[in-house]
Amino acid sequence: MEIQSTQLEKAVVVKVSGRMDAENAHQFQRACEEWIARGTTCILVELSDLQYVSSMGLSCFLAVAKTLQAKAGSVSLCQLQGLPRQVFEMTRLIGLFPIYDSVAAALASLS
Amino acid sequence: MRNPVVRLQVPAEIASLKECCAFVRRGAEATGLASEEIDRLDLVLEELFVNIARHAYSPGTGQVEVGYSVEAPGRLWVEITDSGRAFNPLAGDPPDFSLGLADRPLGGMGLFLVKALADSVRYERDGNCNRISFVVSGGPGSGPAVQNKLA
Repeated sequence: MEIQSTQLEKAVVVKVSGRMDAENAHQFQRACEEWIARGTTCILVELSDLQYVSSMGLSCFLAVAKTLQAKAGSVSLCQLQGLPRQVFEMTRLIGLFPIYDSVAAALASLS
Repeated sequence: MRNPVVRLQVPAEIASLKECCAFVRRGAEATGLASEEIDRLDLVLEELFVNIARHAYSPGTGQVEVGYSVEAPGRLWVEITDSGRAFNPLAGDPPDFSLGLADRPLGGMGLFLVKALADSVRYERDGNCNRISFVVSGGPGSGPAVQNKLA
């Protein structure tokens, strides 16, 4: 799994690529928590290259979303597709996150 | 008639997960499963394995045996056995999907996904062992049974 973060004016884009499993999911959560600790309240997660996510990864997404909700912020999912989209749908988590077709669409919703 | 079962024994810990998935993937590739089906297989295997690694022997340690058999082209049977405390991973209730973000628990999704993503899954307590087996297959008519349940 690779994580690349980019700070923009109104949000931080966290691009997650590869496979998020029980061994590495906490790295994603930690990366988000570091941004939150620095004052970020809007995280856009870019998922076009995420091939795989297990329940440990889902828990990390949920934990980050809960933390940001408590700070009146949000974590949005952009380009959720494939098996990751299927598991977000099956677990009904998809209804708990703002979902966008692209980072550009998510950014447009902020302006 | 099932083909011979190939088996691997590893310590029941998260650090063994990659070895386990790589082992079963050999069977998946031999049976000709497509990459999306192999991802589904990995997910079912991971959820069951992680559950055993976390709970079966806690606070002690133990072993897990993973076996697979190519049942037919495009159809892989996998069995996971531990000798930890008796636990039927299929017996739990599904998560409460009606809860909002603030109330939704972080856990409880893994074993739900097992039932949703495997073509079939079966548990038995055999002496002092937990034995769970599942099938993942490809092609028309295969895939997650939950699609129909959710429709």
